[in-house]
Amino acid sequence: MGKDIREDIAWAQINKDVLASVQSPRKLYWVILFIALAVFGVGIGCEVMNYRIGLGVSNMDNPHVWGLYIATFIFWIGMSHSGTLLSAILHLMHADWRKPIYRFAEAMTTFSLMTAGLFVAVHLGRLWQIYYALPYPNERWTWPNFQSPLLWDAMAIFTYLSSSVIFLYIGSIPDLAICRDNIQAGWRKKLYSILSLGWEGTDRQWRNFRITYMTVACFLIPLAVSVHSIVASDFAMSQQPGWHVTSFPPYFVAGALYSGCAAIITLFVILRYVFKFEEYMTLPILRKTVRLTFAIAMVWTYLNCIEFASAWYGHSQADKAVLIQKATGPYAPFWWSMIFCGSVVPFAMMVKKWQVNIPIMFAVSLLLNLGMWLERWMIVSPTFAHGYYPWSWDHDQWPSLVQWGIVFGSFGWFTLLFMVFCKIIPSVSMYEVKEMVYHRTLAKKKEELGLEGGH
Amino acid sequence: MSVSNLLENWSKYRHTHPLDDGGHADWNAYPSPIKWAMSIDLDACTGCNACSVACYAENNLPVVGKDKYAHGQAMHWMRIERYWGEPEKAIDEFDSAMNFQLVAQNFDVDQGAQFLPMLCQQCEAAPCETVCPVGATNHTEDGLNSQIYNRCIGSRYCSANCPYKVRYFNWYSYPDQEHAWPEPLNQQLNPDLTVRTKGVMEKCTFCKQRTYTARNDAKTEGREIRDEDVQTACQQACPTGAISFGNLFNPESTVAKQWSAQQVDLVKEKQDKDGTPDNKLRGYRILEELRPFPSIMYLERVRESAV
Amino acid sequence: MSKRHILALYNDFDEAELAVQELRTAQIKGFNVDDDLTVKSPIEHPEVERMIGYKPIRVQWFTLIGALTGGILAFSLIAGSQANFYSQMKGGKPIVPIPPDMVLTYEMFILGGVYITVLGFLICAGLPARRSPLYSAKVSEDQIGILVRSDESAAPALKDIFTRHKALEIQEEAGK
Repeated sequence: MGKDIREDIAWAQINKDVLASVQSPRKLYWVILFIALAVFGVGIGCEVMNYRIGLGVSNMDNPHVWGLYIATFIFWIGMSHSGTLLSAILHLMHADWRKPIYRFAEAMTTFSLMTAGLFVAVHLGRLWQIYYALPYPNERWTWPNFQSPLLWDAMAIFTYLSSSVIFLYIGSIPDLAICRDNIQAGWRKKLYSILSLGWEGTDRQWRNFRITYMTVACFLIPLAVSVHSIVASDFAMSQQPGWHVTSFPPYFVAGALYSGCAAIITLFVILRYVFKFEEYMTLPILRKTVRLTFAIAMVWTYLNCIEFASAWYGHSQADKAVLIQKATGPYAPFWWSMIFCGSVVPFAMMVKKWQVNIPIMFAVSLLLNLGMWLERWMIVSPTFAHGYYPWSWDHDQWPSLVQWGIVFGSFGWFTLLFMVFCKIIPSVSMYEVKEMVYHRTLAKKKEELGLEGGH
Repeated sequence: MSVSNLLENWSKYRHTHPLDDGGHADWNAYPSPIKWAMSIDLDACTGCNACSVACYAENNLPVVGKDKYAHGQAMHWMRIERYWGEPEKAIDEFDSAMNFQLVAQNFDVDQGAQFLPMLCQQCEAAPCETVCPVGATNHTEDGLNSQIYNRCIGSRYCSANCPYKVRYFNWYSYPDQEHAWPEPLNQQLNPDLTVRTKGVMEKCTFCKQRTYTARNDAKTEGREIRDEDVQTACQQACPTGAISFGNLFNPESTVAKQWSAQQVDLVKEKQDKDGTPDNKLRGYRILEELRPFPSIMYLERVRESAV
Repeated sequence: MSKRHILALYNDFDEAELAVQELRTAQIKGFNVDDDLTVKSPIEHPEVERMIGYKPIRVQWFTLIGALTGGILAFSLIAGSQANFYSQMKGGKPIVPIPPDMVLTYEMFILGGVYITVLGFLICAGLPARRSPLYSAKVSEDQIGILVRSDESAAPALKDIFTRHKALEIQEEAGK
């Protein structure tokens, strides 16, 4: 296995390469940006219809009141979790290899949360009254219902979003100072001077920085786990067959890390090419990420089996009926695709040669994410199609193009935010790559000394 | 003020309903406690849908039209469900699973469809209430499950968590649609309650506008609610008198008598009926084992084959 | 009394360490090691702390206070509003239900902790800061900077130490 990064790479060169990424990416960048904008436009158009005409245009109906909006909401929330995994958990574990890729993973966290937040709004019947769900003092003396898992969701997402924005920002202050020192032109200069807060890398700043970064990382880990557990509670706390499952919170968290890791591989490949990061996002790092993803894929598969087993042996006829319905009913093609994409495709990651094969891993990561999206849909919809009450069984409901359009548009919105971010804030952490190089140099020196001592 | 209130009344704020308090809410706004309840005799139900029509008229329910009905976007607070036959029994009789279609047809000719009028069960511990993010649905002091249209933001979680699926969402702005109340139907809109805008959830209220008036009248006159004070629209329209409605806490009311005759207790999730083999008890509540403590008791249909 | 600033840049961390050690032991009049010495580095060197002597970090106190305040505030706000303004029975559950309130308390505990930690960071690290009198962009690239502040009289001695330890560059400026 190769080195995660070359130790002879000059520090000045790191600055130069990364700063180039915010200034002159490949042309493909602009193509992606344009496509993202167009896709987002489609979503906006659909949402305008949704808002003006009413949610009926989404083709949801009375027993089947939730659809792709909620499924995609969970998908985006889930995607946000791996950013935290890489930036916080691996930080505390002193895994040096995370350093070149954690910044964009953390940005992915932030922006996928922002995308998920949109779905909360899109889903509401009366979007213009959304502020009723905020706990603010008012003349009516009414408060939101603190018992509702949806409210916990809102609170958890707000906490998670603001904490990860803070974490992302704190972590990039030293890099912003580098930008300030090196980019002298126009609005960027002004922006970086403000954002870098006068950072100069003094001992006092670094000392407090280290402890703050670690503290926030410590907060983020339980927070991330709680966020997806709460999303799982939307289902597990309800009474419906197929949802009322004790293992849902860990199952959701595993699924979240899984889809997030897959998305990191996708973005890894894209950024590596678009911003010419071949020196930093190296193949050994890809291999490590792929291995991590494979491990999580197996955890997810295991928890999936647990869920099926508890439905099958749980003596609850309704739960069992929903499970059978998933496997044999109108949702069967999607359900089996989910099993295939989520539990079979990851075995491609076991092949050592393929672990560093960029086209194959790119394709695999896309399939994994497709599988994870299907998973969320298969959690939400079959229960509505086949619940407790036979008269309300509704096996034919199919989301309208408006619903699909908004789901599609959300990918545009995410890509747009992400790409704009990468053009403004360095998507590779310069100071941490330097640390990584420094640690390697020290290790090498020690090795040489040790060898000499031995002779 | 707030913290001391919290501490002083801690036990009051911590009791569960209806198990801890026997089904009585701890409000005493009325001369005597009220718990509206219903019983529906399925043996008397002919499936004529008069109750449903009456509900449309009484509660300003919009007519959604054929297309939206086919999409499942109808607003029938009171719906008549049809169930065809008893397949297992039929298979036994004819001893052939292969001719199921034929069997079902013959069986239907013999027995006819069975009907079940389904409306909001006004659960004492309603699954829909806890999940609403804005608290738009609550348990009221007269034992109903209320829905505040003004407060609803349309997250539809209540419907998702309703085991009976009796909540109806305004997928469109129905009052603006021509087919909702075509001329001259708009003349008969009930002035006692509103029409609902798009994006809010609605459901059966046990004709809140009627019970409210009856309750106030009784309070003014300083007496208990009597059966003749109030009828729900569906009850009033039912040609066979299958529906009875009243105050369950008044032992003199028809509903209370029916419930006790059928040995159905409001606060039990599993009724302990006497196990005599030839008893004539027909009363049951739907999905009782989920512990929502519904307020509607159904009386099972007496099957011809069983007689 | 007028002060003078001197910034010396080093390429090599070990060389800078030696220079600092000498500064600490030299006992130059008009130069106080604890107050007047600042080391600037492009990366986080844990060794810097050993080099210039341990200094207390107080961010954790902010974290503790923030998290506790967040949690207590959340529970009292939620339980208080449930009991006072909104005592409406829902789903047969108690009016002040503990498990849901705990979930929100937990979230607010973290929220308060993170916010106040960051506030503490800004306060303890003195950010946002005005730029110090002497700064070189090389520090954000790959060089170690040693910034000292001293009386006029001590300046030659300090400069002497820096040159002896092969500083790449020495900048100086008269302070106000």
